[in-house]
Parts: sequence; C-alpha cells; structure tokens
Amino acid sequence: MIRIQDVVRNYHAGETVVKALKGVSLEITDGEFLSIAGPSGSGKTTLLNLIGCIDALDGGEIVIDETPVSKMDKKAKTEFRRNNLGFVFQTYNLIPVLTAYENVSFVLSILNVPEKEIEERTMGILKEVGLQGMEHRRPDRLSGGQQQRIAIARALVKNPKIVLADEPTANLDSKTGEEILKLMQSMNEKYHTTFIFSTHDSMVMDYARRLVSLHDGQVIDDQRR
Amino acid sequence: MKFIITLAFKNLTRYKRRTLITAFAIAVGLMMFIIVDSVLIGVESESMRNLRWYETSSARIMHEEYWEDRLLMPLDMSIDDPYAIIDMLDKEGITAAPRINFSADMILYSDDFGEDGNMPVQVTAIDPELDNTVFRFKETLVEGTFPEPGTNQMVMGSWFAEDIGAEVGYWVTLVTRGNGGFYEAMDMEIVGIVNCPNPNVNRTLLMVPIDTVDEYLAMEGNATEINIALPEDSDIATEVEQIKNLLEERGRSLHVATWDELAQDYVALAEAKRGGTGMILFLVFIIAAVGISNTMLMAIYERIRELGMMRALGMKDRSIQLAFMVEAAGIGLIGSIVGVALGVAINFYMVNVGVDLGFLMRDMDMGYRIQSIMRGAWSPSTLVTAFFFGTFLSMLVAYIPTRRALKMDIPSCLRHQ
Repeated sequence: MIRIQDVVRNYHAGETVVKALKGVSLEITDGEFLSIAGPSGSGKTTLLNLIGCIDALDGGEIVIDETPVSKMDKKAKTEFRRNNLGFVFQTYNLIPVLTAYENVSFVLSILNVPEKEIEERTMGILKEVGLQGMEHRRPDRLSGGQQQRIAIARALVKNPKIVLADEPTANLDSKTGEEILKLMQSMNEKYHTTFIFSTHDSMVMDYARRLVSLHDGQVIDDQRR
Repeated sequence: MKFIITLAFKNLTRYKRRTLITAFAIAVGLMMFIIVDSVLIGVESESMRNLRWYETSSARIMHEEYWEDRLLMPLDMSIDDPYAIIDMLDKEGITAAPRINFSADMILYSDDFGEDGNMPVQVTAIDPELDNTVFRFKETLVEGTFPEPGTNQMVMGSWFAEDIGAEVGYWVTLVTRGNGGFYEAMDMEIVGIVNCPNPNVNRTLLMVPIDTVDEYLAMEGNATEINIALPEDSDIATEVEQIKNLLEERGRSLHVATWDELAQDYVALAEAKRGGTGMILFLVFIIAAVGISNTMLMAIYERIRELGMMRALGMKDRSIQLAFMVEAAGIGLIGSIVGVALGVAINFYMVNVGVDLGFLMRDMDMGYRIQSIMRGAWSPSTLVTAFFFGTFLSMLVAYIPTRRALKMDIPSCLRHQ
C-alpha cells in the first residue's frame, strides 16, 4: 500500500518558484496497474520520482507499506530502492557496453544474490519478456522495443513491490508500445507487482485499470476501471 | 565487485581510441620520467666518479690557511713533510699522494706553435708514481708518455692541447713565483697528452713532476695538498673524521676536506639542476594528469544518465565511484605498463650506449663532469615508482569528477542530455 498525503514539491529556477505538486493525495493498493496521466508539466514525473524515492518533497508525506519513505535519509532511500523498487525509463537507460543478460543481472549482483541464482532468475525473466536467445546482444543491436523489454526485465528480476515507469512507450511506435503495455500488464497479473506509469498517450491510458489525472500539480480525476 | 570490474573493463574498451590516447599520454609521461631520471642519475654518478678520479680525489688534506685562501694557491701555506702523512695513512690502508698547485704564465714559442704567445695557466705538480694510485690519469693517456720524476716533462689535457695547437715534443716555458716570492722560469717539454673524461680538467690540465717543481719553487719538500683515495662505497664523512683524528694525534693541525666540499660549485649546480629537472617531471605529470582528467571527465559526463539509472536502481555511490576509479586505474595500468616498457627499452640503450654530447660539452661548460657520452643508470625504484604513480595518478584524477557527478540529484542525472 502506498499512501501519498498532501505532497508538495516546488522547484526553484532563480527567484522563480515552480509549484510542481500542490498537495497531492493518493492511496495505491498492492498489485494495481495505475496510470498517472496529464499534459507536460502537470507533475507526473515529479510524483513518480517522489514515490521512487529519488527526489525529496517539500511538504506532506509518502508511506510505502507503513514505511515513511519521505522521511528517510539518502542511504536508507538507496537501500529501499535497491530492495523494493523497479524502474522503467522512457529512454530505456541501459548500459550500452553490457549485454542484455548483464544489464538485467547487475541488479541482482548489487543485491548480493548468489551467482547461480542470478543466472536462473535472469534467464527466466529474459525468456518471459521474449528475449530468449538474445541474452548476449548489446543494446545497440536490439530494437527500441527489445531494449524496453530488457528494461522491464531489469525492473522485475528482483521481484520488487513496485515498478515505476516514466512514459515507457513514448519512444516507441504505437504497435511496439502496445506490446510493451501488454507485457507490463501480463507481468502485473502474474506477479501482482504494483505498476505505476506516467503517460500523456490516450492509448496507454486505455490499458490502465486505474487512471489518475494530474493538471498543474493537482489530482483532477481518479477513475477505477 | 565482479560487476564493477566487468563494467570498468567493458567501458575501457567502449572508447578504445580515447583509452589508448590517454594511456599513451601516461606512457609518454612515465617514459620521460624514467629516462630523465636515469640520465640524471647516470650523469650525476659519472660526474661524481670523474670528480673523484680526476679532480678532487675522495678527500684532500691542506694547511688550514691554504684552505681559506685556496683560490690564490699560496705556496707558503703548504704542508710540511707530506710523505710522513702519506706513510701514516698508508699504514692505515689509505692511499694518498702529494701535489703542488701553482699558477703560472705559459709562454708559447713560434718555433713550435707558429707564433709567440703567452697565457695564464694553473699547473699541478704530481708525484708520478703515487698520483696514479689516487687519480686515474695514466689510463687516459692518448699520446706520448707520462712525465718521469726529476725531468722537465709535462702532460697536457687533450682539449687544452687542441685549443693551443700543442703536440708532443713541443716546448713551453712556465713563468711563476716561487715559495718566498722570487720569479722562476721553467722550460717544459710536452711529453704526453691525456684525454681526461672530466671536461673541466681536460680543458686546463697541465701536470709536471713534483720533485722538479720542488726544486724550482723552493718548496723544501712541502706540498700544497695531499689527495686521498677512499673506496667508492665508503662513508667518506666517517673516514675523514678518522683521518682528522690521526692527524691530531700526531700534532698536525690540518684541514681535511671531502670531495663534495671541494666541488661545492658542482654540488650546488647539481642540486639546482635536480630541482629544475624535478620541475620538468612535474610538468610532464601535469600534462598526463590533465589528459587522464579530461578523458575521465568526458567519460563521466557522457554517462551521467547511466550513473543516475544505477543510483535509481539502488547501487551505492561508493560502488559507482569505485567502478569509475577501477576504469581509471585500468587506463593508468595500460599507460604504466607501456610507459615502463618503453622507458626500459630506451633506457637499455641509454645505459649501454648513451648519447654522444661531445659536440655540446666541448665548447660549453654544463657543470657536469662528463666529457662526451651521456649515459643513463638503472634505478629499479624509479621503475616501481613510475608504475604505481601512473596507476595511482589516474585514480586520483578520476575521483574528483566522479564525486562531482555523484553530487547531482538523481532526477537531474536522468534528465541529463
């Protein structure tokens, strides 16, 4: 369960204060497949970053499974992310010198998972995302869709509680984007991992079982389907 | 750790050309360090040897007042009964030889030299037998013979002979003032020419038998100095103290100077040059450091998003820092291996063959006591220092830009273009 309470986040650009989030409150239950929608500058990425413990809020509170993550120090946040969160980025953010296998397995390496288990889990997840036989390819030899599949495998391989995806299909054509969404949906159903993804694409919103709309840093709509 | 090493290694091969150029910059820096250091050690040790073998000996005994006024070479401040001291030292296993130094006006005759002329010179009167147990001139004789005791024979440095057009068999006259101030003229026949490896000596050397000079200058058996040869590896300061004690025990109040006291000009010059060379080496390292720093800066700033992703996924800053430093160490290691290998290869030539700088040394006094071939010397500690320093320096210069990048917040890293 993620509880977001009156969250405020301001950015300072010189003397100008940009209010990115103006008291957002939300409750997200385990296993949800939730989309945060809204136009550019509405605060989608900021909200994802705050849930993902990679940004600090200016007011309010975020509690994940009874843990007040917004009050954690830098070191505790790092550890929390390492153990509980998976990320999928719009630009995939794979390490170009590593193979598909290495890009996924390093997440387990930093968790000190034994070598044999790393191999089993990595090969397993790569098979599930449809990249079997491509383990030794580097990102530059894979399509955008395949690279995003690696990113999803990387997010899921450690069995996180929550996967946060910031515009995961924005760099993909609509057909590949749809495939990625179906993959995320199937993973959500299979592992009951909470998926929270931001988008401004109506096709992507259609896949969400819950759609939270943001506008100017405030929740203007929250629909369950 | 395995992941960190894999990542560092793969990143090293990611931009091969950049890695190789930076490693090459380190290699050139280290190679220069090794060669300059080798030549410096080689030149200094050869200079010290040539000083002791041809100019100062290991130590020198002089009258206290002669030491004070040694540049004037006062004959009346000489050592009484020098052979008694030499015998005393001989009993202690120390080799010594007397000398008389005096200045003179050397007259050249047109019969031999083509035209008449004269010039001021410094003459060294030697005991031909004993002198060769302390100095090594006999081994450098290139023409003629060494002077016989009791004769009016003279040997000359080869550069000096070249400069004045002297040849074996030519006669000159030395006009000087004897002990007591009277004028004396000595006709001398050039019987030998030595090619002394010490350029300062080779430019000015004139040696005549001491017994002949003793008679001409009324020295009454005295010498202006007693030169002492000590083993190369001996502790000269301690040996000199012992010699002083021996002299005091026999009631002889004399000054004993070590070779480096006698060659203060050289010691000061060598120290200054060492400082200058250290500066050059420092600049070489700065250039190498800027190269590595630039490479690492580019590598880090190109990978800020990657760095942000790793942090977002929960990788510790310390581990990310380590990954970049291992990568830098890899560049340093390649540079160090190549640099030390190149340094050793070139130094092999420098030690065994050397560079002939005779054309430079002939007409220019560089202060070093080497005549032509500038050789290097092996210094294992320099090789080890260069190797580790290259690697360490790479890691050090990678630390700062990585640290700075890690101070950026994660969203900024992820947005970085």
